[in-house]
Amino acid sequence: MSGATTDRSGPSTRRLLGVLFREEWRLHTQLFGGWRFALFPGVIAALAVGATVALRETGTADGTILTGLHVLALGFGLYSGTAGFAGSDMLENVFGELSLILSSSTTLPLSRRRLLGVFLLKDALFYAVAFVLPMALSNAVLADRLAAVPAAVGALWLSLSLAFAAGMALTVALIAVRTRGVPTWAITGAIVVAAGAAWLTGTGGAVWNAFVPIDGGPTGSIGLAVGTGVVGAASLALYDPTYGRPSRTASDRFARLSDALPVEAIGADSALVSKTLLDLARSSGGVMKPFVSAAILLALVAALVGVVDSITGIAPAPGVFFGGVLGLTAFTTYNWLTQFDSLEAYLAYPVSIDDVFRAKRVAFVLVGAPTVAVPYLAAVLWFEATLVDAVVGAILLAGYALYYYGLTVYIAGFDPNEFLFDAVRFSLFTLGVGVALVPTLVTGFVVVPPTGSVAVALGVAGIGFGVVGMVLSSRAGPRWEQRSRNE
Amino acid sequence: MGAIRVDGLGKSYGAVEAVADMSFTVERGELYGFLGPNGAGKTTTIRTLTGQIQPDAGTVRVLETDPVTEPIETRKRVGILPEQQSPPSFLTPREYLEFVGDVRELDSDRVAERTADWAQRLGFENKLDTLHTDLSRGQQQKVMITQAFLHEPDVVFIDEPLANLDPLVQEQVKRFLVSYAAGDNAVFVSTHNIDVAEEICTRVGIVADGRIVTERSLAGDGGGGDGNDESLLEVFLERVENEDARDLPSLERIDA
Repeated sequence: MSGATTDRSGPSTRRLLGVLFREEWRLHTQLFGGWRFALFPGVIAALAVGATVALRETGTADGTILTGLHVLALGFGLYSGTAGFAGSDMLENVFGELSLILSSSTTLPLSRRRLLGVFLLKDALFYAVAFVLPMALSNAVLADRLAAVPAAVGALWLSLSLAFAAGMALTVALIAVRTRGVPTWAITGAIVVAAGAAWLTGTGGAVWNAFVPIDGGPTGSIGLAVGTGVVGAASLALYDPTYGRPSRTASDRFARLSDALPVEAIGADSALVSKTLLDLARSSGGVMKPFVSAAILLALVAALVGVVDSITGIAPAPGVFFGGVLGLTAFTTYNWLTQFDSLEAYLAYPVSIDDVFRAKRVAFVLVGAPTVAVPYLAAVLWFEATLVDAVVGAILLAGYALYYYGLTVYIAGFDPNEFLFDAVRFSLFTLGVGVALVPTLVTGFVVVPPTGSVAVALGVAGIGFGVVGMVLSSRAGPRWEQRSRNE
Repeated sequence: MGAIRVDGLGKSYGAVEAVADMSFTVERGELYGFLGPNGAGKTTTIRTLTGQIQPDAGTVRVLETDPVTEPIETRKRVGILPEQQSPPSFLTPREYLEFVGDVRELDSDRVAERTADWAQRLGFENKLDTLHTDLSRGQQQKVMITQAFLHEPDVVFIDEPLANLDPLVQEQVKRFLVSYAAGDNAVFVSTHNIDVAEEICTRVGIVADGRIVTERSLAGDGGGGDGNDESLLEVFLERVENEDARDLPSLERIDA
């Protein structure tokens, strides 16, 4: 045992859970305002129910909708599994200065492993109620009679919660393996090999079905619950709380990068851009982080397209469809670019907040362009888009990415993560995205491949939204500067 | 004309009055200690003087610039060491100081020279190529001190200068601050460490409840430079307690 205390002294698990629940609730309500956070489950419920109604009306099969919900729950679980390990530095990057009960094992006679286990259990229960339950309300739409609604919602809630918990357990397992000194590249390689093997042997479908327990009946649910419990417990046992990364040195890349970037010509400060790029490159996951985010989005959307096609025989125009959807990576890319600094940190230097936002915009273009170009090209080649469709999709991709970026920066400033918990901002952002994306997706499904006039209309829409995005992002600097100075 | 001039400064956060009708002047050659308990308004004052936030009332001038209307110009001329700010996690000290040099438009050879000098002075020359995220808090503080002085500013604002430093480096930093102020610069130190203020400052302003309740010249030898025999600690306790007594029950009253 690597120095960790394993005694069971200290508060009971129930008491610890209670304290952690209270901390979680206060964390969100203090940061985002009580009613804004309290409204958030309502927003999720409205989105889930609204999307279900819309998808059903446009001919999407119930099974496809349920599969999509499980994809979201699993993805959210994979993301949430990192919370207990992120460390106060990373959390402070997101939420500001924090001191969490989770870190009290360093000063109190509490086992870090036990505290972490209770923390993750708390997260699983908290998010199952606050986020997954509203998603499960979708089944109220799918139930064939009113009396069946409670049972249908309950069954979907259980199923989604299991998928969510399984996602968390998988992430915890990977992090636990990492704390035993297994390098990240080896873990990534193992995942790629396993995914490839599943695809080659044709077992991918069976593996996926395990994460949709509502389709497998009680046996599937019990199997996934037991599997999740076993993986979670084994991961906690494997987790080494004393793991520490060795000190890292780096050659001087700042000056070279700053000199090489020809961004001064467009009014950006190369020092600020270089800092952002080095932050991204040297933090965990390196420059691949935005690509991984884009690849996950591509894989999920491509899988959904395949499922829809197999059930309904309807396939969208790939260029228009993927061009519209992949633009959403603007949000994740910008998120990565602001993850490692705060506006306040720049106030010690003679730069304006507008300068900082301009530098972020340049960094976004430098990182975002290849991030979306690669998956987009893969999609149009894989799904055999026509030339016109591919070109229109590329225009949509560029324009919508700029638009989503401008929307994010204007609404959320330097804290795009706040979207996840702030009902008002999340609603505004969702509305803004929907205005551009929904008509585009509908067109992409209805007019296949796009006709000349539709292609021109979509191209104009792409350029138009791109201009709106540029205007929004250029106004974000003065807007947030004003807010910062008048706090 | 003082290096720093504050007249009738006021700043509120909602219903909370952080700074109220504050006035003082700091001249070149002074090491001015801004002393006060937690929540007295020290950080708000520094943030206003460096153009980070807008005041609700009053006027401020720093090196003849107006931080309210020309914050960038003010920040070009001054050095700032915030209390709780770490250098960027994923840059090395060498790269960060190059970054600061770029932003402040300093010659790169000069930056390299000063970086080497400061690294040697504060003892982080063997950490120049280590990512900040892997440095101790003390080493990070040394880098932050360096960035504040890299452009040899005429005025420096420092919030708790000795936080996280070992005693040896504390002594070096204290000696440096004294000599820096003596070189016709103004050093504005916000702290609640009375011993340090008494040791190095030429003058202190004691702040409580958002206003300066007393100012005192110091000889720099622990005694009152203004002929007052009371120790700075005694003055501080007396004045701050008197201020707090307006709003809060005293310890004696609680005990009773």
